[in-house]
Amino acid sequence: MSIRTLILQQLANTLANGGVASTDYSLEATELPWTASGEPLYVKNMRVVYVSDEEEAKIQLYRTLDQGDVYQTDTMVQAFLTEDAKNINANNPTVIENMLNAKSVVNTANGYNVQIAESGYEQEIEGDTITYTFEYTFTTI
Amino acid sequence: MSEVINVTAGTEAILTLGTTAAMAEPLGTNGMIIPLMQDVTINASPGIVRYSVLDNPSSKAFTTVNENSVSGNMLLDEDTFFGPAAAGGLNTIADAGLFKTSTDKTEIFFSIAFQGSDSGDHYIAGKGFISGLAPTASMDAAIWLTPIEIVVNGELSKLTK
Repeated sequence: MSIRTLILQQLANTLANGGVASTDYSLEATELPWTASGEPLYVKNMRVVYVSDEEEAKIQLYRTLDQGDVYQTDTMVQAFLTEDAKNINANNPTVIENMLNAKSVVNTANGYNVQIAESGYEQEIEGDTITYTFEYTFTTI
Repeated sequence: MSEVINVTAGTEAILTLGTTAAMAEPLGTNGMIIPLMQDVTINASPGIVRYSVLDNPSSKAFTTVNENSVSGNMLLDEDTFFGPAAAGGLNTIADAGLFKTSTDKTEIFFSIAFQGSDSGDHYIAGKGFISGLAPTASMDAAIWLTPIEIVVNGELSKLTK
């Protein structure tokens, strides 16, 4: 299962179970954060979380004389959430916390030997909207 | 014409262990090829004693016995280090694994191929004891790594396949 799929599965849970699904928030489970009429869907559809496709790089971690080399895979996934900056929802802190913690779903039990799993976000206010751009980065062996 | 020995093909620099000299040759029957070596170094050093004399401003020297060893670093392979789950019975070093062979102080024969194992290829051979195993693990390294040393008992021989 891809890392994006695992994150989507985690975020599809309810707020109480580490996801974002609730009365006020939802998850776009299939579509990528594409742009319609010059406006990203996550801006058009506020409080809907969009998850981007994966960016991946394979890096040679160890070289050996018999070419039995060991590679690490660096994977990056982004997620987007836009809110009304004038009226931040009361569940916003919980949603953000759950989105940050969603990185933990990429683990050995799900088929990934994770060396590094990190998540963080940046926020940008434009007009009356605030957009959170989450970035998940994983180094797997 | 000078010609470097390129080892990037993955089949050139090969460390092989065996219970006999023939077994330990490159591609020797039942020889144990050590996988996942990151580097290998052959140390062939004659012992040298320097001394001074009153009528010469430079020191003089004479040689003593050679002190030979082979050292390297490797990614730790489970079967190579601990022996396979089911012993093959054809090479007791491979069956025991590097760790037990070292702790049992079992003398081993070895060869280091320089150019692979084709006819006419050069290699260096000898016998000795496995030493210097120091497996290390860390999250930064992600896997087990260990140095390895073979303390050579006697002389190294320059041979060809």
